[in-house]
Amino acid sequence: MIELKNADPNFKWEIIKREGGEGLLKCFGCSDCAASCPVRYFDERYNPRKIIRLTLLGMKKEVLSSPFLWFCAHCHACTERCPQGIMVAEVINAIKNYAAEQDYCPEGYKMQLDLLNKLGRLYEIEDFDLRKREKLGLPPINKIISEVAKILEHTGIIERVHSKNAHANLKSETRNTNE
Amino acid sequence: MKRYALFLGCTVPVRAQHYELSARNVAKELNIEFVEMDDASCCGFPIKAVDAETSLLIAARNISIASTMNLNIVTLCNSCTAMLSDAQKQLKHNEFYKKFKELGFSYPHDVVVKHFVRVLYEEIGLDVLKKAVKKPLNMLKVISHYGCHYMRPSQLHEFDNPEVPHTLDELVTVTGAQSVEYVDKKMCCGGSVLGIDEALAVTMANHKLHTAKNSNVDALISICPFCTVMYEDNQRKAEDKFETQYGIPVLYYPQLLGLSLGLDKNAVGIRFNRVKASALLEKVGVA
Ligand code: SF4
Ligand code: SF4
Repeated sequence: MIELKNADPNFKWEIIKREGGEGLLKCFGCSDCAASCPVRYFDERYNPRKIIRLTLLGMKKEVLSSPFLWFCAHCHACTERCPQGIMVAEVINAIKNYAAEQDYCPEGYKMQLDLLNKLGRLYEIEDFDLRKREKLGLPPINKIISEVAKILEHTGIIERVHSKNAHANLKSETRNTNE
Repeated sequence: MKRYALFLGCTVPVRAQHYELSARNVAKELNIEFVEMDDASCCGFPIKAVDAETSLLIAARNISIASTMNLNIVTLCNSCTAMLSDAQKQLKHNEFYKKFKELGFSYPHDVVVKHFVRVLYEEIGLDVLKKAVKKPLNMLKVISHYGCHYMRPSQLHEFDNPEVPHTLDELVTVTGAQSVEYVDKKMCCGGSVLGIDEALAVTMANHKLHTAKNSNVDALISICPFCTVMYEDNQRKAEDKFETQYGIPVLYYPQLLGLSLGLDKNAVGIRFNRVKASALLEKVGVA
């Protein structure tokens, strides 16, 4: 059930101002995105149209706390079909970005963020890998690219994702509505 | 001789050396020179879901390396291609460019970002490739998998057909192999959700493995390390979940092309394919 009395009219503006969130207001609810979505084809609990409509309605808690938000494979099948020219996958991504900062970042992503901070890469390069590359005649590669940590520090993303009480407001709101 | 900066990304140089090796050896045969990007990092895509802006800045820094070398970028991974292309477009916007400059990076020359397969199609061309084929693979039937970020979103790539792509099929046909027609060509491998819900990811991968089996192909052709993780590394999981047997080798396109150019099996790193391709090699007559 959608309880409109819990709606937050600012929510959609929070998404629109983010990288990728621009097109949100143009959605007229046709469902072409959902019809083209491969994830939805296999698992009906995920529905891009529903996420976008709930966002427009201001159903912040429902959208941000839903584990299915993260099911989007970012495949852009929806983007190609949207009659309104919305880059649907980018809008969904903007919602994920917002959720990540509201303490809903999946652990796997936090780990990847930490790896990038430490190594500048997703995989630790062992001496074994370098020897294997050499044997195959492949050129050596750097184990650590430290400039990435500088970028992460500059945008402050690690702090935003890890800080527990950043958005205590949303959390207490959530609690109240559950009571 | 054509020269490009080669962007390897995270996965290819440590988890898909056979892809890198075959791409480099095919490039050599075709008179393409790859210049190393020593200080290149992750493309940024893995954390796009956490913060698009940070991932774009990481991508833009990689582009600045090629820009300083005054070279265009060749990529081997679909997601790297999309991420770097996105950043390349963003660099033209003042607001983003300002943030990029604040970090002390520079962008002296405009850089074009292309997937290696797209370079083969657009800049080498089917005619040249056809002439270079020494050992046509007429006995092979394969299924071509494009993956999502090779041509979608079309606003970014402006290449091939986002709904019914055809460039890889044409490139496969040049080798002499038959590329089967099938529905749901644009189906996603599921790679992006592997870390979120493994069962869903494996179900998505299974869809095309099932089509491949029904089409009775010798191999599935991939152009992205993530897609290969889904179709090859997780093939056993799909077999278990759907109680079936696939045993379908997953070859990177440069491996297939390399065999047709007359490269030997070591030069295309066939022994690193996790689903063994010995039956395919036998058919082709490569000992
Ligand atoms: S296809 Fe576009 S307009 Fe239609 S529901 Fe989806 S986002 Fe809205
Ligand atoms: S990008 Fe996400 S919402 Fe769009 S079709 Fe792909 S999985 Fe579905």
